[in-house]
Amino acid sequence: MLLQHSLPPQRRHASFRTSPQSVSARIKHVLRSTSPAVEAEPAETKAEKPKKQKGEKQPQQKGGKPAQSASSPEEVRAVRLQKVEELRGQGQEPYAYRFDRTHFTTELQEQFAALENGAHDESGAVVSVAGRVVAKRVMGKLSFLSLRDDKGQIQLYVEKAGLDAQQPGGFDLVKGLVDVGDIVGCTGGLKRTDKGELSVVATGLQVLTKSLQPLPDKWHGLADVEKRYRQRYLDMIMAAEVRDTFRARSKIISCIRRQLEDRGFLEVETPVLESVAGGADARPFRTFHNTLRRDFTLRIATELHLKRLVVGGFERVFELGRIFRNEGVSSRHNPEFTSVEIYQAYADYSDMMALTEDLVRACALAVKGSTQISYQGVDIDFGAPFRRASMAQLVQEAAPGLDFEALMAAGREAAAAGGPEAAAAVLAKAKQDAEAVLQAHENKEVRKSLNKVRSAPSLGHLLNEMFEALAEAGLMQPTFVTEHPVEISPLAKPHRSKPGVTERFELFIYGREHANAFSELTDAVEQRVRFEEQVARHNRAFEERKQARAEAGEGSDAEEAEEDYEVAVDYDFIAALEHGLPPTGGLGIGVDRLVMMLTDSPSIRDVIAFPLMK
Amino acid sequence: MTTPEVYNLPEQWSEELKDENGEPMSKSEFKRRQKANRLAAEKAEKEAAKAAKAAAAPAKPAKEADGPALEDDSTEITDPTAYFENRVKYINAKKAKGVNPYPHKFHVSMSLPDFVAKYNSLEAGQQLTDVTVSVAGRIYSKRSSGSKLVFYDLKGDGSKIQIMADARNSDLDAEGYAQVHNECKRGDIVGVEGFPGKSKKGELSIFPKKFAVLSPCLHMPPSAHFGLKDQETRYRQRYLDLIANSDVRSIFFTRAKIIQFVRRFLDTRGFLEVETPMMNMIPGGAAARPFVTHHNDLNMQLYMRIAPELFLKQLVIGGLERVYEIGRQFRNEGIDLTHNPEFTTCEFYQAYADYKDLLDLTEQMISQMVYEIKGSYKIAYHPDGPEKPAIEIDFSPPWRRISMVSGLEECLKVKLPADLESEEARLLLVKLCEQHNVNCPAPQTTARLLDKLVGEFLEEQCVNPTFICDHPQLMSPLAKWHRELPNMTERFELFINKREVCNAYTELNDPLKQRELFGDQAKAKSQGDDEAMFVDEVFCTALEYGLPPTGGWGLGVDRMTMLLTDTNNIKEVLLFPAMKPEEQGGKKEDA
Repeated sequence: MLLQHSLPPQRRHASFRTSPQSVSARIKHVLRSTSPAVEAEPAETKAEKPKKQKGEKQPQQKGGKPAQSASSPEEVRAVRLQKVEELRGQGQEPYAYRFDRTHFTTELQEQFAALENGAHDESGAVVSVAGRVVAKRVMGKLSFLSLRDDKGQIQLYVEKAGLDAQQPGGFDLVKGLVDVGDIVGCTGGLKRTDKGELSVVATGLQVLTKSLQPLPDKWHGLADVEKRYRQRYLDMIMAAEVRDTFRARSKIISCIRRQLEDRGFLEVETPVLESVAGGADARPFRTFHNTLRRDFTLRIATELHLKRLVVGGFERVFELGRIFRNEGVSSRHNPEFTSVEIYQAYADYSDMMALTEDLVRACALAVKGSTQISYQGVDIDFGAPFRRASMAQLVQEAAPGLDFEALMAAGREAAAAGGPEAAAAVLAKAKQDAEAVLQAHENKEVRKSLNKVRSAPSLGHLLNEMFEALAEAGLMQPTFVTEHPVEISPLAKPHRSKPGVTERFELFIYGREHANAFSELTDAVEQRVRFEEQVARHNRAFEERKQARAEAGEGSDAEEAEEDYEVAVDYDFIAALEHGLPPTGGLGIGVDRLVMMLTDSPSIRDVIAFPLMK
Repeated sequence: MTTPEVYNLPEQWSEELKDENGEPMSKSEFKRRQKANRLAAEKAEKEAAKAAKAAAAPAKPAKEADGPALEDDSTEITDPTAYFENRVKYINAKKAKGVNPYPHKFHVSMSLPDFVAKYNSLEAGQQLTDVTVSVAGRIYSKRSSGSKLVFYDLKGDGSKIQIMADARNSDLDAEGYAQVHNECKRGDIVGVEGFPGKSKKGELSIFPKKFAVLSPCLHMPPSAHFGLKDQETRYRQRYLDLIANSDVRSIFFTRAKIIQFVRRFLDTRGFLEVETPMMNMIPGGAAARPFVTHHNDLNMQLYMRIAPELFLKQLVIGGLERVYEIGRQFRNEGIDLTHNPEFTTCEFYQAYADYKDLLDLTEQMISQMVYEIKGSYKIAYHPDGPEKPAIEIDFSPPWRRISMVSGLEECLKVKLPADLESEEARLLLVKLCEQHNVNCPAPQTTARLLDKLVGEFLEEQCVNPTFICDHPQLMSPLAKWHRELPNMTERFELFINKREVCNAYTELNDPLKQRELFGDQAKAKSQGDDEAMFVDEVFCTALEYGLPPTGGWGLGVDRMTMLLTDTNNIKEVLLFPAMKPEEQGGKKEDA
């Protein structure tokens, strides 16, 4: 792709958003290298370099409208609206229809890389560039504009005599009617300034779109993260690395798609609007279709539809698309997010581990050119085979006294010998041990899991809670956590040799879940039992909480009641399974989190162009 | 296992009846066996005739006396409930014996399409006994020939081969062989390891050494002969449709090819694929009724998007000069042959381009797509379904371009007032609609009246790809005013087979003008046009930062797929179309 090569090296190496200090330092660096003219203005550059590139350059616009000096955005807007009229009055449409660009700025930077300082291009090339004016300086009969397009930046060298000869009144236009923020088109030859800046020597310059709002003076220096997400377009105008993040996102998705297509997978689209939300345990969004007069829920996973397609004979399918969960918003959660789910007939979870490693590695190579990356200061190695460890093993590593394999075996024996009561006793004892471990833990966060541990309805749930409390956060390097208990894995096949657990894995990196996969449960009879148990358990808990709230006599429980939701069994899916799903491996990868990882972005909002905001 | 004694079925069923393993036998099982025995007897007599008929039978199978004929399709239970119960009993019995009826893994060394490609050139009767391959798929039919030979049709990945299961090749003993093959039913997913070859009749086959049911089909699959034609069932149980109707599969491959083509076309032109929100505070970018939903945590009402347009333009403002998004849109509207509540579009935006650039680009993209997928610019299409006559649609460029108002004036032999926004113009349109029996339900706004007339008189002419251009501004609140025709916009819609497939314009980027047009929409909304656009102030603010001159474009992927798969119902090109709730108890459609 063109994009990767297009950025000047200092920007390509610029790491993503870190601290305001380092960002402004980098911007200074960029400015120095691309806009020597800025340095000719010591008064401002010294004091506020970051501002230079972006701010309304009122103080420098000696020939500009004095009304603009130190004015509010409203005042600036009013002045610019006058300029709109002025342009129209001169017979120039301030919102042009099209422009023939001959080159992207980076193409010129490459093509004329050999042009020496102070030299004019003698080939007679006439080029046209277009983009946004991000800096402007007027010095008597000379003006410098910095023009940025999709790929990079170039300087426009505007000399009164040269421009006016070709375009009478051109220099006055530049001086008086062109502002920082405007979209302009410029035609001319090329020269490199004495300071080494490749420049288009304007012989024609046209306002293509007059901007009404001044670009902000400061961006990253300002701690207004909200504004960055709400006005993403401004974030992109102001910060090259934001645009780079979304280019990387596109590259990652395209890499996943290509990898899968090369392996013979068919990309399909399954419904977002569903009658029963299945395939995961999450609160769905609900909506209503007017003419059908029926409720729909928005999908919380694509799993159940994709497996229907494998039943139908599409042996390798995937869907890359949006998933919706009606849950809290955080640095790792957005109500809508992108996942890829992949199903491969005749494969199992081991095959899916290999596929996961391949996909993650290919994406790292596509974006970073390496399988060794750094995320939030931690080196992550995707090159080596990912570690594989069972959930029970990881809990035991963190708490050597807790051997869940033995506990679960004891639970089974007790159930077989003494029935449910004996099994409950094993669970109660296990909980005691688990609580003791948590209470003795030095980390307050870990101790917060006590309630969840106390209310765990089974050994399987208990194991999961202990894993989340003790082990998860420490899994920095890519790790396949395997063998999840049956109780928390209603769609996974029982392990072929280990009772009580499933053929499942989750991939953890930097303490976060990135992928989830199983040998799919293909047994329709068992699937029905598991679904019905899961729904019963869920609705029982739902009822209990409702009851508790009623008993507590909470007057306005409406808000809390919304925290709860009912779930239903998808019998249509069971009917599909009854028609025979081949042995199948299934894999889901959270695309947003993978993009976060590979762009070193701390928040999911950095990788979603328009995250949901309050 | 002990040698089985020959089990004799009594003539009458009784409660006490036990099978060969001493298990109680149900009445349906008894009937099944009774029928099986009868048919087996009949079959033994017809052996010779049948062998001749069976297309793939290599030779008259040796009729051996040491076992009953194997069960096959002809001995199937015919009552669906009994069939299902019997199969559940079979898997439960397996589980009780500690045998997993759903094996975890079967190694497939070769897909069926690869098998066909590799071995289809073998001679009739040729067998590569020293080659071992393993394949898997679904059983479509089963014919037994005595106790030592079963023929299956195996399908997978859209290809079909025969399994010629001869007891002599099997790794199992006679008993094991008989058990495995008696247990396998039509519809089951099986894995087969053996050698490739062709039957004497020339049928490409695998000759199994190992044979395993990997996933039993518990329901009676649709009949091999009659297939599955009921439309409701086909859409509601798409997996059955895919199993029964092999041509359905190809629709979805064509669909994927269309999307791939568009993606590649745009990628090679430097467009960046992006994702914008599907849930918004304001449903902008089109005129349509939105779905409403609610976010609990934020206690916020949200709309499902009706178009990605306003977000994509914000990205162009942000400096991504060429962007596109392929994805789902949602409209809370009626369901018919061309409308589903969710559908797929591609929208792209290209800075510094105008609608003329996009006219050419559209012609280029769509005609190349048709040529690449169909091998010709001309396609046959059945607008009224496969039973009705076909038409030819010719995608050879260049395509006809009609300027909307002058086209309409020509058709109706009238001159429309220059100021279309006047009441005079509106009344004339009302009169024209009445004159020509064109029904326009209230509110009879100028935009809606024009739309109806254009639908009746211009769109009807557009069988081959045709651009209807230069829509009046009042029909196009996001398009830029025309640089030559007053009150018109620089916009086009592409019609093929009288249906809109693309919509594009030079984007309106004057923020003041945009606000004004949004205001008109708000007025129309207050007058009762609930399809009028919502006003998006966030977008207007973004425009004030400067949107470069930009051409924007949208394609209806589903409609394009309908054209290239010769289908006239959008449900045919959606894997799981939205359906009315089922009128039945038990399975609740609405959660």
